Amino acid sequence: MGRYSPTVVDHFTNPRNAGELDDPDVRASIGNPVCGDQIMLTAYVDDGTITAIRFRAHGCAAALAAASAISEACHGATLAELGTWDASRVDSLLGGLAPDQRHVAALGGHVVSRLVSNHREGVNDDAPLVCS
Amino acid sequence: MQLAAMLGDAGAAFRLPNAEREAAVVAALRSAFASHAGHNAFYRAQCEAAGVTAADISSVADLARIPLLPVGMFKQPDAHVLMTAPLTDVELEIRSTGTGGVPSVARRDTTTATRVVTALIGQYRDFFGIAKGAGLFLSPSTAETPEMGMVKVFNLLNGLFDDHAYVVRDYAFDPEEALGLLNRWEESMTRHIIGPPFLVGRLLRYLELEDISLKLDPESLVITLGGWKRYTGESISRRDFDEKVERHLGVPAGRVRDMYGMIESNMLAVECEHHRKHVPPWSYISIRDVEDTSIELPAGRTGVIALLDALSTSYPGFILSEDVGEVDSSPCPCGRTGQTVSFRRRLQGAELGCCAVSIEKFLDSQEIVAECEVPAAPARTEA
Repeated sequence: MGRYSPTVVDHFTNPRNAGELDDPDVRASIGNPVCGDQIMLTAYVDDGTITAIRFRAHGCAAALAAASAISEACHGATLAELGTWDASRVDSLLGGLAPDQRHVAALGGHVVSRLVSNHREGVNDDAPLVCS
Repeated sequence: MQLAAMLGDAGAAFRLPNAEREAAVVAALRSAFASHAGHNAFYRAQCEAAGVTAADISSVADLARIPLLPVGMFKQPDAHVLMTAPLTDVELEIRSTGTGGVPSVARRDTTTATRVVTALIGQYRDFFGIAKGAGLFLSPSTAETPEMGMVKVFNLLNGLFDDHAYVVRDYAFDPEEALGLLNRWEESMTRHIIGPPFLVGRLLRYLELEDISLKLDPESLVITLGGWKRYTGESISRRDFDEKVERHLGVPAGRVRDMYGMIESNMLAVECEHHRKHVPPWSYISIRDVEDTSIELPAGRTGVIALLDALSTSYPGFILSEDVGEVDSSPCPCGRTGQTVSFRRRLQGAELGCCAVSIEKFLDSQEIVAECEVPAAPARTEA
Protein backbone atom coordinates (compact mmCIF):
# COMPACT_ATOMS: atom_id res chain seq x y z
CA MET A 1 0.00 0.00 0.00
CA GLY A 2 1.20 3.52 -0.72
CA ARG A 3 1.37 6.24 1.88
CA TYR A 4 -2.29 7.09 1.30
CA SER A 5 -4.93 4.44 0.62
CA PRO A 6 -7.07 4.86 -2.51
CA THR A 7 -10.00 5.69 -0.18
CA VAL A 8 -8.07 8.52 1.49
CA VAL A 9 -6.98 9.87 -1.91
CA ASP A 10 -10.57 9.71 -3.19
CA HIS A 11 -12.16 11.45 -0.19
CA PHE A 12 -9.40 14.08 0.05
CA THR A 13 -9.70 14.89 -3.64
CA ASN A 14 -13.50 14.64 -3.87
CA PRO A 15 -14.88 15.42 -0.43
CA ARG A 16 -18.53 14.49 0.19
CA ASN A 17 -20.94 16.36 2.49
CA ALA A 18 -18.63 19.29 3.16
CA GLY A 19 -20.23 22.21 4.99
CA GLU A 20 -22.53 22.76 7.94
CA LEU A 21 -26.26 22.15 8.32
CA ASP A 22 -28.53 25.00 9.40
CA ASP A 23 -30.11 24.47 12.79
CA PRO A 24 -28.88 20.86 13.15
CA ASP A 25 -30.36 18.38 15.62
CA VAL A 26 -26.86 17.63 16.89
CA ARG A 27 -23.36 19.08 16.58
CA ALA A 28 -20.13 17.37 17.63
CA SER A 29 -16.66 18.79 17.38
CA ILE A 30 -13.30 17.27 18.28
CA GLY A 31 -9.80 18.67 17.92
CA ASN A 32 -6.21 17.85 18.71
CA PRO A 33 -4.70 20.90 20.43
CA VAL A 34 -1.14 20.15 19.38
CA CYS A 35 -1.37 19.21 15.72
CA GLY A 36 -4.54 21.21 15.13
CA ASP A 37 -6.60 18.52 13.36
CA GLN A 38 -10.29 19.30 13.82
CA ILE A 39 -13.50 17.59 12.73
CA MET A 40 -16.98 18.99 13.28
CA LEU A 41 -20.14 17.10 12.33
CA THR A 42 -23.65 18.52 12.13
CA ALA A 43 -26.58 16.19 11.55
CA TYR A 44 -30.34 15.91 11.29
CA VAL A 45 -31.69 12.92 13.19
CA ASP A 46 -35.10 11.40 12.57
CA ASP A 47 -36.31 8.57 14.77
CA GLY A 48 -32.76 7.60 15.74
CA THR A 49 -31.45 7.66 12.15
CA ILE A 50 -29.07 10.19 10.57
CA THR A 51 -31.01 11.72 7.70
CA ALA A 52 -28.51 14.41 6.71
CA ILE A 53 -24.95 15.14 7.79
CA ARG A 54 -22.25 17.67 6.93
CA PHE A 55 -18.64 18.06 8.08
CA ARG A 56 -16.08 20.77 8.50
CA ALA A 57 -12.47 19.66 8.94
CA HIS A 58 -9.02 21.17 9.20
CA GLY A 59 -5.65 19.49 9.25
CA CYS A 60 -3.82 16.74 7.42
CA ALA A 61 -5.10 14.98 4.30
CA ALA A 62 -6.07 11.90 6.30
CA ALA A 63 -8.15 14.01 8.72
CA LEU A 64 -10.00 15.70 5.85
CA ALA A 65 -10.57 12.34 4.15
CA ALA A 66 -11.74 10.77 7.42
CA ALA A 67 -14.33 13.49 7.95
CA SER A 68 -15.68 12.98 4.44
CA ALA A 69 -15.71 9.17 4.69
CA ILE A 70 -17.33 9.27 8.14
CA SER A 71 -20.06 11.59 6.91
CA GLU A 72 -20.79 9.28 4.00
CA ALA A 73 -20.90 6.19 6.21
CA CYS A 74 -23.03 7.90 8.87
CA HIS A 75 -25.72 8.98 6.45
CA GLY A 76 -28.66 6.60 6.89
CA ALA A 77 -27.08 4.87 9.88
CA THR A 78 -28.82 4.61 13.24
CA LEU A 79 -27.34 6.19 16.34
CA ALA A 80 -27.30 2.73 17.90
CA GLU A 81 -25.04 1.50 15.08
CA LEU A 82 -22.79 4.54 15.39
CA GLY A 83 -22.51 3.96 19.13
CA THR A 84 -20.39 0.88 18.41
CA TRP A 85 -17.81 2.77 16.30
CA ASP A 86 -14.25 3.11 17.46
CA ALA A 87 -10.85 4.00 15.96
CA SER A 88 -10.47 0.64 14.24
CA ARG A 89 -13.82 1.14 12.48
CA VAL A 90 -12.56 4.48 11.09
CA ASP A 91 -9.21 2.93 10.15
CA SER A 92 -10.95 0.22 8.12
CA LEU A 93 -13.38 2.75 6.63
CA LEU A 94 -10.34 4.60 5.25
CA GLY A 95 -8.73 1.45 3.86
CA GLY A 96 -5.93 1.52 6.43
CA LEU A 97 -3.73 4.33 7.67
CA ALA A 98 0.05 4.73 7.83
CA PRO A 99 1.51 4.86 11.38
CA ASP A 100 1.84 8.65 11.33
CA GLN A 101 -1.81 8.98 10.25
CA ARG A 102 -3.36 6.73 12.90
CA HIS A 103 -4.16 9.62 15.22
CA VAL A 104 -6.84 10.43 12.67
CA ALA A 105 -8.64 7.14 13.36
CA ALA A 106 -8.84 8.08 17.04
CA LEU A 107 -10.06 11.57 16.15
CA GLY A 108 -12.74 10.11 13.85
CA GLY A 109 -13.84 7.54 16.42
CA HIS A 110 -14.13 10.26 19.05
CA VAL A 111 -16.20 12.61 16.92
CA VAL A 112 -18.71 9.88 16.02
CA SER A 113 -18.96 8.80 19.62
CA ARG A 114 -19.44 12.44 20.63
CA LEU A 115 -22.19 12.86 18.03
CA VAL A 116 -24.09 9.97 19.56
CA SER A 117 -23.62 11.08 23.17
CA ASN A 118 -24.43 14.72 22.37
CA HIS A 119 -27.72 13.67 20.77
CA ARG A 120 -28.57 11.44 23.70
CA GLU A 121 -27.84 14.23 26.19
CA GLY A 122 -29.32 17.02 24.09
CA VAL A 123 -26.10 19.07 23.98
CA ASN A 124 -24.03 20.61 21.19
CA ASP A 125 -20.33 21.44 21.04
CA ASP A 126 -19.64 25.09 20.38
CA ALA A 127 -15.88 24.59 20.14
CA PRO A 128 -13.68 21.58 19.45
CA LEU A 129 -13.28 19.29 22.41
CA VAL A 130 -9.77 18.09 23.10
CA CYS A 131 -9.11 14.66 21.63
CA SER A 132 -7.21 12.51 24.12
CA MET B 1 23.14 28.60 -13.58
CA GLN B 2 20.31 26.07 -13.62
CA LEU B 3 18.22 25.19 -10.57
CA ALA B 4 19.87 21.80 -9.99
CA ALA B 5 23.34 23.38 -10.21
CA MET B 6 22.32 26.12 -7.74
CA LEU B 7 21.05 23.54 -5.28
CA GLY B 8 24.22 21.50 -5.71
CA ASP B 9 26.50 24.45 -4.96
CA ALA B 10 24.55 26.90 -2.83
CA GLY B 11 27.70 28.83 -1.90
CA ALA B 12 28.46 29.65 -5.53
CA ALA B 13 24.81 30.36 -6.31
CA PHE B 14 24.56 32.88 -3.45
CA ARG B 15 27.58 34.74 -4.89
CA LEU B 16 26.63 34.85 -8.57
CA PRO B 17 27.13 38.24 -10.23
CA ASN B 18 23.81 40.12 -10.12
CA ALA B 19 22.95 39.79 -13.82
CA GLU B 20 23.66 36.07 -13.80
CA ARG B 21 21.72 35.59 -10.59
CA GLU B 22 18.71 37.47 -11.95
CA ALA B 23 18.74 35.38 -15.13
CA ALA B 24 18.93 32.19 -13.04
CA VAL B 25 16.03 33.06 -10.72
CA VAL B 26 13.84 34.25 -13.61
CA ALA B 27 14.49 31.03 -15.56
CA ALA B 28 13.78 28.85 -12.50
CA LEU B 29 10.57 30.69 -11.63
CA ARG B 30 9.35 30.79 -15.26
CA SER B 31 9.81 27.03 -15.49
CA ALA B 32 7.96 26.46 -12.18
CA PHE B 33 5.19 28.83 -13.26
CA ALA B 34 4.78 27.02 -16.61
CA SER B 35 4.52 23.68 -14.85
CA HIS B 36 1.87 24.76 -12.34
CA ALA B 37 -0.16 26.67 -14.92
CA GLY B 38 -0.04 23.60 -17.14
CA HIS B 39 -0.97 20.97 -14.56
CA ASN B 40 -3.12 22.70 -11.95
CA ALA B 41 -6.65 23.56 -13.09
CA PHE B 42 -7.35 25.89 -10.16
CA TYR B 43 -4.13 27.83 -10.71
CA ARG B 44 -4.53 27.84 -14.49
CA ALA B 45 -7.86 29.61 -14.02
CA GLN B 46 -6.08 32.32 -11.99
CA CYS B 47 -3.49 32.70 -14.74
CA GLU B 48 -6.14 32.91 -17.44
CA ALA B 49 -8.07 35.49 -15.43
CA ALA B 50 -4.86 37.52 -15.07
CA GLY B 51 -4.02 37.03 -18.75
CA VAL B 52 -0.49 35.85 -18.06
CA THR B 53 1.49 32.89 -19.40
CA ALA B 54 5.07 31.69 -18.92
CA ALA B 55 6.01 33.37 -22.21
CA ASP B 56 5.32 36.73 -20.52
CA ILE B 57 8.00 36.14 -17.88
CA SER B 58 11.37 37.17 -19.24
CA SER B 59 12.87 39.52 -16.64
CA VAL B 60 12.78 40.24 -12.90
CA ALA B 61 10.27 43.01 -13.58
CA ASP B 62 7.86 40.41 -15.02
CA LEU B 63 7.88 38.23 -11.89
CA ALA B 64 5.27 40.47 -10.27
CA ARG B 65 2.81 39.28 -12.95
CA ILE B 66 2.83 35.71 -11.63
CA PRO B 67 -0.52 35.16 -9.84
CA LEU B 68 -0.21 34.67 -6.08
CA LEU B 69 -2.05 32.36 -3.70
CA PRO B 70 -3.12 34.11 -0.47
CA VAL B 71 -1.51 32.23 2.41
CA GLY B 72 -4.88 31.87 4.15
CA MET B 73 -5.89 29.35 1.47
CA PHE B 74 -3.67 26.77 3.15
CA LYS B 75 -6.07 26.77 6.10
CA GLN B 76 -9.13 26.11 3.98
CA PRO B 77 -10.80 22.70 4.21
CA ASP B 78 -10.79 22.51 0.40
CA ALA B 79 -7.03 23.16 0.14
CA HIS B 80 -6.80 20.12 -2.14
CA VAL B 81 -7.60 22.45 -5.03
CA LEU B 82 -4.17 24.05 -4.53
CA MET B 83 -2.39 20.82 -5.39
CA THR B 84 -0.51 20.38 -8.65
CA ALA B 85 0.85 16.97 -7.60
CA PRO B 86 -1.53 14.13 -6.75
CA LEU B 87 -1.85 13.16 -3.09
CA THR B 88 -0.16 9.84 -3.93
CA ASP B 89 3.08 11.79 -4.57
CA VAL B 90 2.87 13.71 -1.27
CA GLU B 91 5.55 12.72 1.23
CA LEU B 92 5.31 15.40 3.87
CA GLU B 93 2.53 17.42 5.40
CA ILE B 94 4.01 20.33 7.32
CA ARG B 95 1.82 22.47 9.48
CA SER B 96 1.76 25.53 11.62
CA THR B 97 -0.94 26.50 14.07
CA GLY B 98 -1.33 30.09 15.12
CA THR B 99 -3.35 31.77 17.82
CA GLY B 100 -6.59 31.03 15.94
CA GLY B 101 -6.15 27.28 16.36
CA VAL B 102 -6.83 26.33 12.72
CA PRO B 103 -3.73 24.75 11.21
CA SER B 104 -2.16 25.85 7.96
CA VAL B 105 -1.03 22.72 6.14
CA ALA B 106 1.50 22.63 3.29
CA ARG B 107 1.93 19.38 1.39
CA ARG B 108 5.27 18.53 -0.20
CA ASP B 109 5.72 15.88 -2.84
CA THR B 110 8.84 13.80 -3.40
CA THR B 111 10.54 16.24 -5.77
CA THR B 112 9.88 19.23 -3.50
CA ALA B 113 11.06 17.37 -0.40
CA THR B 114 14.31 16.35 -2.10
CA ARG B 115 14.95 19.88 -3.33
CA VAL B 116 14.16 21.50 0.02
CA VAL B 117 16.38 19.14 2.02
CA THR B 118 19.24 19.81 -0.45
CA ALA B 119 18.62 23.57 -0.33
CA LEU B 120 18.52 23.80 3.46
CA ILE B 121 21.63 21.71 4.01
CA GLY B 122 23.42 23.86 1.40
CA GLN B 123 22.29 27.04 3.15
CA TYR B 124 23.30 25.78 6.59
CA ARG B 125 26.74 24.84 5.29
CA ASP B 126 27.20 28.14 3.50
CA PHE B 127 25.96 30.43 6.28
CA PHE B 128 26.99 28.52 9.39
CA GLY B 129 29.87 26.31 8.22
CA ILE B 130 28.80 23.65 10.68
CA ALA B 131 30.06 20.09 10.25
CA LYS B 132 30.75 19.11 13.86
CA GLY B 133 30.14 20.19 17.45
CA ALA B 134 27.07 19.90 19.63
CA GLY B 135 23.63 21.37 19.12
CA LEU B 136 21.39 22.24 22.03
CA PHE B 137 17.90 22.42 20.56
CA LEU B 138 15.55 24.52 22.66
CA SER B 139 12.55 22.99 20.96
CA PRO B 140 10.58 19.76 20.91
CA SER B 141 12.01 16.97 18.76
CA THR B 142 10.48 15.93 15.45
CA ALA B 143 9.49 12.68 17.18
CA GLU B 144 7.23 14.70 19.46
CA THR B 145 5.99 17.15 16.81
CA PRO B 146 6.65 15.43 13.46
CA GLU B 147 4.72 17.86 11.28
CA MET B 148 5.69 21.18 12.87
CA GLY B 149 7.48 23.27 10.24
CA MET B 150 9.92 25.10 12.50
CA VAL B 151 11.00 21.90 14.23
CA LYS B 152 11.47 20.18 10.88
CA VAL B 153 13.72 23.02 9.68
CA PHE B 154 15.76 22.87 12.90
CA ASN B 155 15.95 19.10 12.72
CA LEU B 156 17.87 19.14 9.44
CA LEU B 157 20.67 20.86 11.32
CA ASN B 158 21.14 18.06 13.80
CA GLY B 159 22.71 15.72 11.25
CA LEU B 160 25.56 18.22 10.95
CA PHE B 161 26.42 17.96 14.65
CA ASP B 162 28.38 15.23 16.45
CA ASP B 163 25.94 15.35 19.34
CA HIS B 164 22.62 17.03 19.99
CA ALA B 165 19.76 17.16 22.45
CA TYR B 166 16.21 18.46 22.40
CA VAL B 167 15.30 19.93 25.77
CA VAL B 168 11.59 20.64 25.33
CA ARG B 169 9.75 17.44 26.16
CA ASP B 170 6.05 16.97 26.80
CA TYR B 171 5.81 20.74 26.35
CA ALA B 172 8.03 21.45 29.32
CA PHE B 173 11.39 23.21 29.31
CA ASP B 174 13.93 22.71 32.06
CA PRO B 175 16.73 25.33 31.85
CA GLU B 176 18.80 23.37 34.38
CA GLU B 177 18.91 20.45 31.97
CA ALA B 178 20.02 22.82 29.20
CA LEU B 179 22.76 24.20 31.41
CA GLY B 180 23.86 20.68 32.36
CA LEU B 181 24.25 19.72 28.70
CA LEU B 182 26.25 22.86 27.90
CA ASN B 183 28.57 22.05 30.81
CA ARG B 184 28.88 18.42 29.73
CA TRP B 185 29.95 19.38 26.20
CA GLU B 186 32.33 22.12 27.37
CA GLU B 187 35.60 20.20 27.18
CA SER B 188 34.89 18.22 24.05
CA MET B 189 32.78 20.10 21.50
CA THR B 190 31.90 23.53 20.16
CA ARG B 191 28.47 24.28 21.56
CA HIS B 192 25.63 25.78 19.52
CA ILE B 193 22.16 26.81 20.66
CA ILE B 194 19.18 26.52 18.34
CA GLY B 195 15.61 27.53 19.09
CA PRO B 196 12.85 30.10 18.76
CA PRO B 197 13.76 33.48 20.33
CA PHE B 198 11.25 33.11 23.18
CA LEU B 199 12.82 29.84 24.37
CA VAL B 200 16.39 31.12 24.06
CA GLY B 201 15.02 34.07 26.03
CA ARG B 202 13.80 31.72 28.76
CA LEU B 203 17.28 30.23 29.07
CA LEU B 204 18.77 33.73 29.20
CA ARG B 205 16.28 34.75 31.89
CA TYR B 206 17.21 31.71 33.96
CA LEU B 207 20.93 32.51 33.62
CA GLU B 208 20.21 36.13 34.57
CA LEU B 209 18.19 35.17 37.66
CA GLU B 210 20.80 32.66 38.75
CA ASP B 211 23.57 35.18 38.00
CA ILE B 212 25.33 32.75 35.68
CA SER B 213 27.54 33.96 32.85
CA LEU B 214 28.82 31.28 30.50
CA LYS B 215 31.52 31.64 27.92
CA LEU B 216 30.63 29.40 25.03
CA ASP B 217 33.21 28.68 22.35
CA PRO B 218 34.81 30.94 19.71
CA GLU B 219 32.85 29.23 16.92
CA SER B 220 29.56 28.93 18.82
CA LEU B 221 26.39 30.08 17.09
CA VAL B 222 22.96 30.96 18.42
CA ILE B 223 20.49 30.18 15.63
CA THR B 224 16.88 31.32 15.87
CA LEU B 225 13.69 30.95 13.87
CA GLY B 226 10.06 31.48 14.74
CA GLY B 227 9.54 35.18 15.10
CA TRP B 228 10.11 37.86 17.67
CA LYS B 229 6.59 38.17 19.02
CA ARG B 230 5.25 36.14 21.88
CA TYR B 231 1.74 34.66 21.73
CA THR B 232 0.69 37.43 24.09
CA GLY B 233 1.59 39.97 21.39
CA GLU B 234 4.60 41.23 23.33
CA SER B 235 7.67 41.83 21.16
CA ILE B 236 11.12 40.49 21.95
CA SER B 237 13.74 43.17 21.29
CA ARG B 238 16.49 41.90 19.02
CA ARG B 239 18.99 44.37 20.45
CA ASP B 240 18.27 43.31 24.06
CA PHE B 241 18.36 39.68 22.99
CA ASP B 242 21.80 40.02 21.35
CA GLU B 243 23.14 41.90 24.39
CA LYS B 244 21.91 39.20 26.77
CA VAL B 245 23.33 36.43 24.55
CA GLU B 246 26.71 38.15 24.69
CA ARG B 247 26.48 38.77 28.45
CA HIS B 248 25.21 35.35 29.56
CA LEU B 249 26.48 33.02 26.85
CA GLY B 250 29.57 34.88 25.66
CA VAL B 251 28.47 34.72 22.02
CA PRO B 252 28.97 37.98 20.08
CA ALA B 253 26.09 39.50 18.08
CA GLY B 254 27.68 38.53 14.75
CA ARG B 255 27.24 34.89 15.70
CA VAL B 256 23.57 35.25 16.59
CA ARG B 257 21.73 34.32 13.40
CA ASP B 258 18.03 34.57 12.84
CA MET B 259 16.15 33.01 9.94
CA TYR B 260 12.87 33.94 8.23
CA GLY B 261 10.44 31.65 6.48
CA MET B 262 6.95 30.22 6.61
CA ILE B 263 5.75 26.67 6.26
CA GLU B 264 3.77 27.41 3.09
CA SER B 265 6.94 28.45 1.25
CA ASN B 266 10.23 26.63 0.74
CA MET B 267 12.07 29.95 0.95
CA LEU B 268 14.21 30.20 4.07
CA ALA B 269 16.17 33.45 4.39
CA VAL B 270 19.23 32.95 6.62
CA GLU B 271 21.05 35.78 8.32
CA CYS B 272 24.71 36.43 7.58
CA GLU B 273 27.20 37.90 10.04
CA HIS B 274 25.96 41.38 9.07
CA HIS B 275 22.44 40.50 10.20
CA ARG B 276 20.96 40.59 6.72
CA LYS B 277 18.64 37.74 5.77
CA HIS B 278 19.55 36.54 2.29
CA VAL B 279 16.84 35.36 -0.07
CA PRO B 280 18.11 32.19 -1.78
CA PRO B 281 18.73 32.35 -5.55
CA TRP B 282 15.85 29.94 -6.25
CA SER B 283 13.39 32.41 -4.71
CA TYR B 284 12.29 35.98 -5.21
CA ILE B 285 10.53 38.29 -2.80
CA SER B 286 8.11 40.83 -4.16
CA ILE B 287 6.92 43.57 -1.82
CA ARG B 288 3.32 44.59 -2.45
CA ASP B 289 1.35 47.70 -1.61
CA VAL B 290 -0.72 47.04 1.53
CA GLU B 291 -3.75 48.80 -0.01
CA ASP B 292 -3.48 47.11 -3.42
CA THR B 293 -1.40 43.95 -3.47
CA SER B 294 -1.33 43.88 -7.27
CA ILE B 295 1.19 46.74 -7.09
CA GLU B 296 4.83 45.82 -6.54
CA LEU B 297 6.85 48.28 -4.49
CA PRO B 298 10.53 49.01 -5.14
CA ALA B 299 13.33 47.83 -2.85
CA GLY B 300 13.41 49.76 0.40
CA ARG B 301 9.65 50.38 0.57
CA THR B 302 7.63 48.58 3.22
CA GLY B 303 4.70 46.40 2.17
CA VAL B 304 3.19 42.93 2.14
CA ILE B 305 5.74 40.17 1.57
CA ALA B 306 5.04 37.87 -1.41
CA LEU B 307 7.30 34.84 -1.80
CA LEU B 308 7.96 33.21 -5.16
CA ASP B 309 9.71 29.88 -4.85
CA ALA B 310 10.94 27.67 -7.68
CA LEU B 311 11.39 24.53 -5.56
CA SER B 312 7.74 23.62 -5.16
CA THR B 313 6.27 21.06 -7.53
CA SER B 314 3.42 20.00 -5.22
CA TYR B 315 1.53 23.33 -5.40
CA PRO B 316 2.28 26.75 -6.89
CA GLY B 317 4.89 28.21 -4.56
CA PHE B 318 3.80 31.76 -5.25
CA ILE B 319 2.43 32.97 -1.93
CA LEU B 320 1.00 36.28 -0.77
CA SER B 321 1.82 36.26 2.93
CA GLU B 322 0.28 38.20 5.82
CA ASP B 323 3.70 39.55 6.79
CA VAL B 324 4.87 43.10 6.26
CA GLY B 325 8.48 43.99 5.50
CA GLU B 326 10.87 45.15 2.87
CA VAL B 327 13.70 43.97 0.65
CA ASP B 328 17.14 45.45 0.16
CA SER B 329 19.07 44.80 -3.04
CA SER B 330 22.19 46.76 -2.12
CA PRO B 331 25.47 44.83 -1.92
CA CYS B 332 26.07 43.02 1.36
CA PRO B 333 29.59 43.09 2.83
CA CYS B 334 29.39 39.31 3.22
CA GLY B 335 29.73 38.96 -0.56
CA ARG B 336 26.41 37.29 -1.22
CA THR B 337 24.33 38.88 -3.97
CA GLY B 338 20.63 39.39 -4.55
CA GLN B 339 17.85 40.40 -2.20
CA THR B 340 17.83 40.46 1.56
CA VAL B 341 14.53 40.60 3.44
CA SER B 342 13.45 42.24 6.68
CA PHE B 343 10.27 41.24 8.45
CA ARG B 344 8.59 44.14 10.28
CA ARG B 345 5.22 42.98 11.53
CA ARG B 346 2.12 40.98 10.77
CA LEU B 347 -0.51 42.54 8.55
CA GLN B 348 -3.17 44.33 10.57
CA GLY B 349 -5.93 41.87 11.46
CA ALA B 350 -3.81 38.79 10.69
CA GLU B 351 -3.59 36.26 13.49
CA LEU B 352 -0.27 35.71 15.18
CA GLY B 353 0.54 32.45 13.55
CA CYS B 354 3.64 30.33 13.70
CA CYS B 355 5.04 27.20 15.28
CA ALA B 356 6.90 29.12 17.99
CA VAL B 357 3.72 30.89 19.09
CA SER B 358 1.94 27.55 19.23
CA ILE B 359 4.71 25.95 21.33
CA GLU B 360 4.90 28.87 23.74
CA LYS B 361 1.15 29.04 24.21
CA PHE B 362 0.93 25.33 24.95
CA LEU B 363 4.03 25.38 27.15
CA ASP B 364 2.57 28.23 29.20
CA SER B 365 -0.80 26.51 29.51
CA GLN B 366 0.92 23.33 30.76
CA GLU B 367 2.83 25.36 33.35
CA ILE B 368 -0.39 27.03 34.50
CA VAL B 369 -2.03 23.61 34.83
CA ALA B 370 0.95 22.36 36.84
CA GLU B 371 0.90 25.44 39.10
CA CYS B 372 -2.83 25.05 39.75
CA GLU B 373 -2.69 21.34 40.40
CA VAL B 374 -3.98 20.39 43.85
CA PRO B 375 -1.15 18.57 45.62
CA ALA B 376 -1.92 15.00 46.58
CA ALA B 377 -2.57 14.49 50.27
CA PRO B 378 0.53 13.16 52.02
CA ALA B 379 0.42 9.46 52.71
CA ARG B 380 -0.37 8.65 56.32
CA THR B 381 2.38 6.94 58.26
CA GLU B 382 1.97 5.07 61.42
CA ALA B 383 3.53 6.82 64.39
